[in-house]
Amino acid sequence: MDALDTLIQPHRVHRSLYTDADIFLSEMERIFGGAWVYLAHESQLPEPNDFITTRMGLRPLILTRDTEGGLHGLFNRCAHRASTVCQSECGSARRFQCSYHGWTYSNRGELVNVPFVEGYPPDFDKADHGLALLPRLGTYRGLIFGTLNLDAPSLAEWLGPAGPLVDEFVDRSPTGRIEVRNCQRMIYRGNWKLAWDNAGDGLHPTFAHRSFLVLNERQHGGARSLSQFKASPDDTGMYGLDLGNGHMFVDQRPGLRQSFWETQRPVPGREWYADRISERFGDDAAGMLEMAPGSMVNLSIFPNLLIKGNTLETVDPVSVGETRLHTWVVAAEGAPEEVNVLRMRIAEDFPSLGNPDDLEIFERCQEGLAVPEVEWVDMSKGLGHEAEDVTADGVRRGPVTHEGPMRGYLRAWLKLMTADVRLTAARSGEASFENAV
Amino acid sequence: MGAPSTSALDDRLYQRLADLVSADSPDRGPGHTDLRPAVEQALYHEARLLDDRRYRTWLERFTDDCVYWVPLDPVADPRTKVSYLLDDRRRMADRIGLLETGWAHAQEPPSRTSRTVSNVEAWPTGDGDTLARCSTVVWEHRKDRLTAFASRNDYVLASLGDGWAIRYKIVRLVDCAGDVRKFSFVL
Repeated sequence: MDALDTLIQPHRVHRSLYTDADIFLSEMERIFGGAWVYLAHESQLPEPNDFITTRMGLRPLILTRDTEGGLHGLFNRCAHRASTVCQSECGSARRFQCSYHGWTYSNRGELVNVPFVEGYPPDFDKADHGLALLPRLGTYRGLIFGTLNLDAPSLAEWLGPAGPLVDEFVDRSPTGRIEVRNCQRMIYRGNWKLAWDNAGDGLHPTFAHRSFLVLNERQHGGARSLSQFKASPDDTGMYGLDLGNGHMFVDQRPGLRQSFWETQRPVPGREWYADRISERFGDDAAGMLEMAPGSMVNLSIFPNLLIKGNTLETVDPVSVGETRLHTWVVAAEGAPEEVNVLRMRIAEDFPSLGNPDDLEIFERCQEGLAVPEVEWVDMSKGLGHEAEDVTADGVRRGPVTHEGPMRGYLRAWLKLMTADVRLTAARSGEASFENAV
Repeated sequence: MGAPSTSALDDRLYQRLADLVSADSPDRGPGHTDLRPAVEQALYHEARLLDDRRYRTWLERFTDDCVYWVPLDPVADPRTKVSYLLDDRRRMADRIGLLETGWAHAQEPPSRTSRTVSNVEAWPTGDGDTLARCSTVVWEHRKDRLTAFASRNDYVLASLGDGWAIRYKIVRLVDCAGDVRKFSFVL
């Protein structure tokens, strides 16, 4: 592996970031351990003793609430012989018992029972053999993050200018809270950063989503979903932001010439539900309907959360050439029931008609990256361009087809991959919690 | 081209779908053997239309109030949960229209499929329709990969015989709770 800082140049990135298994393993420790990694949303474990299982890089994790409702990030790894102690995706439990030798833990990670304890050395202390914990957990507007990095900035600092953009997303709900429903799980044969590149890429829709654009033009006409990318997207005012710390933002809203609802492709049930909302809310109906379509922005919180449409999509690497995408669909708390029914159908629309083309292209990129003699991936669009701008808080802004957001996250990637950081697990009772809002 | 301008999906239709997949409904007992040959004829014909990618002909076999549904949670009310897809006739036509644009990269080259339909059972619904349940495996080959999509399917057929027609088609994938490769052909 070459020195990492030679692999990322201002205008290009080396293929080995997508193909090298050693770099991948290092990323799983340093990026998916050293950054604040998105774990889940609070509505997925609302009650005391609720839990969900997830992963942080390759580390299996149980995110729990204790009997008082406090959050804990427990590694799903028995302190005895390493077996995972929880096999369910989610549920409610006060105790986790390892099925191998019966060691039993509380939902705070304390070892509460060791069967046949006689025979252990006299200094064997249960307090030393609890489940290991994430040393730092934090929440922001219901989003739960964790890190193993004691030197990481506070969660609020880490999010920086991405925080107010999370607020915008969450505040589309009347109560200012979102409710996570269920999840579409997809897997593709490509490196995880192909999804990350794409999330900040306003250049690809015109070509990668040509089938979707042509379909909408033919079947429905007018300014339907994504038509803002039909020709010269940069003339529409749409823009991309490099928010720092690897976070990215693509704003399609300036490209819309009508309301979200008017430009939304017609989904199943559109007419009947719009009529019901109209009957119930009269003059306020238009405002209610505006909550149904997606947010028309892509907000990417490095390294693993893509907020787009009405979804929280997690990027979950499996191996250097395989990645899971879990797309959690969110309902607007406090919105009319009809709005959230429409949200379910809208969340199937582009994901089932447009995303297969994205995944196909990720796989084509991974295929192409197999040529060792052609070493570089170009990301130079917008570099030094007069339309690029840096705002007072250090946010870099450029026209939507520029590749500044990608260059930005790679700077954050390099920093985490080369920093001298302490990644440690904590013992029960020693972890810290930050409420960033 | 067979695409209505409005959707037939309303709360009543949703309720019928929710009832069809409900885990609480009692066992229906053995299927009616007298219905089975006609149901098999329809399902085999449908399988052949899809394997031959005669999608427009396939769509003509659906009623105006039809639904093609691939749930993620095989027993959930579709009003409260997202699915892989839940299409009315209009979105079915969109799905076919997308493939016809010639720009659907995920189907370039196209998938070749062979589907096996078995364990066919059928019951009258009481209102003139026929409920059919079967097990299906769709084998898909594309590029260098052979993928199996195994499912338990529910159909409500509005008519049988030469003029067979489908009102609802529900594809309950056995791995709907797991990681599924994106599919852009019709299951």
